[in-house]
Amino acid sequence: MNARLTRTSWIARITFLEAIRQRFFAFLLVLSAVMVVSSVSLRFMDFGHSELKFVADFAFGGMFLFGSVLALVMTAQLFFAEIENRTALTLLAKPLSRTEFLLGKFLGTWAVLGVFVFSIAFLQGVILWSRTQELIVLAAETGRVAPDFSVSGLASFAVLQWLRLGVVAAMVLMVSAVARTFLFTVIVGAMAIVAGQLQWLAQEALLKPSDASVVTKSLLWISSRVIPNLQQFNIGDTLVLDPTAISGAAVWSVVLSGLFYLVAFLALASLAFRRREI
Amino acid sequence: MHRVSPWVVASLLLLGAGAYSETSWKGVRQAVPEISRKDLEPTLGQGVLLGILGGLRTVVADATWLRSYVFWERRDRAGCEALMKTACALDPRSRFFWENTGYAVGYDFAHWEIRRRGGYAKVAPDIQEGIFRRYAQLGLAIFEDGVEHTGGNSGILISAGQLAEIKLKDNLLAAAYYRRATQAKTVPWFAYFMCARTMWEAGQKKEAYEWYRTQWLGKLKKDEDGAPDDLERLRFMEDELKVPVQLRIPRQTWEK
Repeated sequence: MNARLTRTSWIARITFLEAIRQRFFAFLLVLSAVMVVSSVSLRFMDFGHSELKFVADFAFGGMFLFGSVLALVMTAQLFFAEIENRTALTLLAKPLSRTEFLLGKFLGTWAVLGVFVFSIAFLQGVILWSRTQELIVLAAETGRVAPDFSVSGLASFAVLQWLRLGVVAAMVLMVSAVARTFLFTVIVGAMAIVAGQLQWLAQEALLKPSDASVVTKSLLWISSRVIPNLQQFNIGDTLVLDPTAISGAAVWSVVLSGLFYLVAFLALASLAFRRREI
Repeated sequence: MHRVSPWVVASLLLLGAGAYSETSWKGVRQAVPEISRKDLEPTLGQGVLLGILGGLRTVVADATWLRSYVFWERRDRAGCEALMKTACALDPRSRFFWENTGYAVGYDFAHWEIRRRGGYAKVAPDIQEGIFRRYAQLGLAIFEDGVEHTGGNSGILISAGQLAEIKLKDNLLAAAYYRRATQAKTVPWFAYFMCARTMWEAGQKKEAYEWYRTQWLGKLKKDEDGAPDDLERLRFMEDELKVPVQLRIPRQTWEK
């Protein structure tokens, strides 16, 4: 068991070092950081929201958009690089199982995604904190109630986003395990992310009483079971700006749901990869 | 059999995760703004999808609102309404979007329609009145949606009351909206008077006085300044209704 863990952690470490050195990662990290920083100067474009909500939304968007791109492209790229460069063959010729290889790839990628998410969340926290201090002074001058944000809510949101990106990465690995090309994986992975973000529509349509046909209901049932609900992780507004509106149990329930998906996709990816010809 | 079982286990695991996500989704559903597919269908594929997907929703809603102004300037009713409603759908908790969409539909669109039909000189007054009423009804429906999505925002209720009063000439309906505004979390100081005035103008003078009096004695009197303007209006009503002196609101020490 210890040997397995050691081997997996070695693969994870190598994958992490390889990924963190990529220009693509640095580019998306800088792009997201610029997006978060520029939100303060773009606030004049806002209509009728609280200022902190507008600023926070930029960071949520950056995490969602660039995080998804990173999870999708980087996972597929790191996997296919091993296959195309034949390094996978060399590695798997050693006492290393395919499951360990795949799990190592996942953990390394997930760690890089963690660096991305927590860096952006930290930057967002700094921006929100500095703007809150300015707004507190303004509120004191005008006799209004000063806005505030929850640091623990921001931390919870960052964890949820990391988990969401983990689910995306596991899903992409599952596609990679059966796909032949990088491009195919990226296209199917992108469609899976969009479907995951819209899965709740199927889930709610199924829960609402309707006169839909058996075929429609069956399709809804299958899609709401097989496609992960990624929308449930997008509760940043509430967690950061109105933390009392959501219970801790509900957040834990989302974490648990994310972990279930993660394990399920990794199990399927591992099984598919076992049968794959390299 | 031995080779199939891990697949079955993994598939069951995925189905179980899917089933569990229903529970977790129910727990956080309130925290995700309601997006109606019907509202978004007309503008899907124009960048709005990005907003549905998560994050950036506020930003996309703002950009959509800016784009709706282009249609507003061109007096393009369909485009303007579609984009304004999309902004509302993307950020349903924003009072600004609901209020201004209601204003555009309830007030502006009727004028555009009349101009499209040849102008005020060509369209018969009764037809004009019908157009104003039709769009006012549509505007009120938007305000109602806004009230529902914002948790009973008093500003939207006041706007709805004004539309009912000005365009529908329905003072009782306006009074009903103003009264709902007085029951909201944050009540504008003038909402009480507007409710009483519209009831008064609708002919329910006695009821208007009774309601206004109850509100003044129960809530407004406790204000820092004692709401002197409201009391002055109540005195006017007492005079008009010839309320006997002993039944009138007792004279306040600070009253002129």
